[in-house]
Amino acid sequence: MTQNVPAYHLKKIQHYYGRSKVLDIKDLKIPKGSITGLVGPNGSGKSTLLKLLGFALEPTQGEIFYNGKKEYCFSPSIRSRVTLLTQTPYLLKRSVFENIIYGLKIRNDKKELKNRVKKALLGVGLEYDDFAHRKWHELSGGEAQRVAMAARLILKPEVLLLDEPIASVDTKSARQIRKASINAQKRWGTTLVIASHDLQWLYSVSDTQLSIFNGQIFTSGIENVIPGPFEKASEKIWKKGTGNGQSFFLKAPEKKSDNAVIKKKHISICVEKKPELSTKIPTGNSPTENILSGHVVSMLLEKKSSHIMTIVSVGDLSFTVRLVPDQVSSFGLHPGKEIYLMFSSDHINWI
Amino acid sequence: MDFIAVGFIKAIELLISGDHSTWSAVWATLKVSTCSMAASLLTGLPCGFLIGYYNFKGKKHLRTILDTMLSLPTVFIGLIVYAFITHRGPLGDFGLLFTLTGIGIGQTILAFPIIAAITASIIEGIDEDLKLTLVSLGAGKRNILVTCLWEVRYGILAAAVTAYGRVMTEVGISMMVGGNIKYYTRTITTAIALETSKGMFADGIALGLVLILIAFIVNLSLSVLRKQ
Repeated sequence: MTQNVPAYHLKKIQHYYGRSKVLDIKDLKIPKGSITGLVGPNGSGKSTLLKLLGFALEPTQGEIFYNGKKEYCFSPSIRSRVTLLTQTPYLLKRSVFENIIYGLKIRNDKKELKNRVKKALLGVGLEYDDFAHRKWHELSGGEAQRVAMAARLILKPEVLLLDEPIASVDTKSARQIRKASINAQKRWGTTLVIASHDLQWLYSVSDTQLSIFNGQIFTSGIENVIPGPFEKASEKIWKKGTGNGQSFFLKAPEKKSDNAVIKKKHISICVEKKPELSTKIPTGNSPTENILSGHVVSMLLEKKSSHIMTIVSVGDLSFTVRLVPDQVSSFGLHPGKEIYLMFSSDHINWI
Repeated sequence: MDFIAVGFIKAIELLISGDHSTWSAVWATLKVSTCSMAASLLTGLPCGFLIGYYNFKGKKHLRTILDTMLSLPTVFIGLIVYAFITHRGPLGDFGLLFTLTGIGIGQTILAFPIIAAITASIIEGIDEDLKLTLVSLGAGKRNILVTCLWEVRYGILAAAVTAYGRVMTEVGISMMVGGNIKYYTRTITTAIALETSKGMFADGIALGLVLILIAFIVNLSLSVLRKQ
């Protein structure tokens, strides 16, 4: 029974900074031992969500259940089990060794510290003899991030929350951090929630991807958010230009909205433009089939499902389309190839 | 002008010969200022931390009061403490008037706002990532308090040095509450004031030199501590 209890269950969570709502999650479950990728632009609410999951921040409204039990900030039962690594971690003004054992010391766990620090440092690709006695200011940015990671891994956490951990580190450090986080999941069944702009990494390791925009979560994966501004084409129809002379149509918003979203599953593709496939300016209430021409810019393998995330650039916008490998080979897709995206105006929703 | 040079020479003689009245004032100063510093650190650090770390209603007003207390004149503190511990005052039964303990109470009141206000400012300026890091490593509220204070220890040392300097060099409290009783409550600063009023510049300069020497030793020790 407990196997089915998710690590996290967020219910009706809302969080405000002052009067501004930064997070609005109706219901979100994160399974135990899973790897969840979190994608969204800067300021979308990723860090706030991770702080809530790390119980470092109390939500303005709503409840967070951890392993089926409602938990709060600073709850002693949770403190030792969940840990968060930020993009710019703070190293305490002490040696690397002291930094790594800090979490153990406050848990009064002082057994075989040297050995454990050695293993933790090795886990992130750092040699004990070279690094353990260095001061916090004697490390590069990438080394500091790896030390911060080691300080969390030594705790063998139940949940490891990573907030853009490789955004400002060198390639070698990024590789070690990626490897160490996946090892934690494999060795101790740690639940990982990773916020990152590195889509390739997220698609290759995560069981599920969540996209977050303006504080709203899309549990169906990384979706195509279309940022404003939009133009009013008629009373019932609005229009969005792509910046390269093309445009597409959507229904007028029912309430004030600045952005729209179209799910991956609602976009289909073709490689040859047939004469009957052209965007018609809608006149009445019937939906319009939008057609846009774009170029494939990258293709990422979603490891768990073997689907291929194909990212297509259309002027200033980019769209992600989820394809099966057979489609990719039959269409002969490769980065640089021109393709046509088709989606109905009815499938574009305001957010 | 010769009296200044003569004063310096006599000062060195007094110190080397171990003049009883000079060393008694030095000892009284060290004892009372150290005790009042310990008391102000014990109370000022947690108060400063709480004010700096937490947001609560009335915080701004509290900061204003604390900042105003930074410029409390020592004679005013002396007056208030005198009024409380004099025989007719509410604490008169404790017999604290004209004692080192009485001076210590006044000096604690003098140092407390310096420690609390500077600590609060330092804590307010702490990197947000430090708090987040501590919470994410499993620190409880007590751990956060101790670790935050340890992380800003150099700033707090500077606050302590500032407060120590103010405590050691004040005259108003020691004179009014201590009464400048020779061999008992006479401190370096009250002795300097007395000797100067009597025209005994050499004794005054000797005590002044000791005061500067103590300040130098304190700062040197802190500098060594920082390097470690």
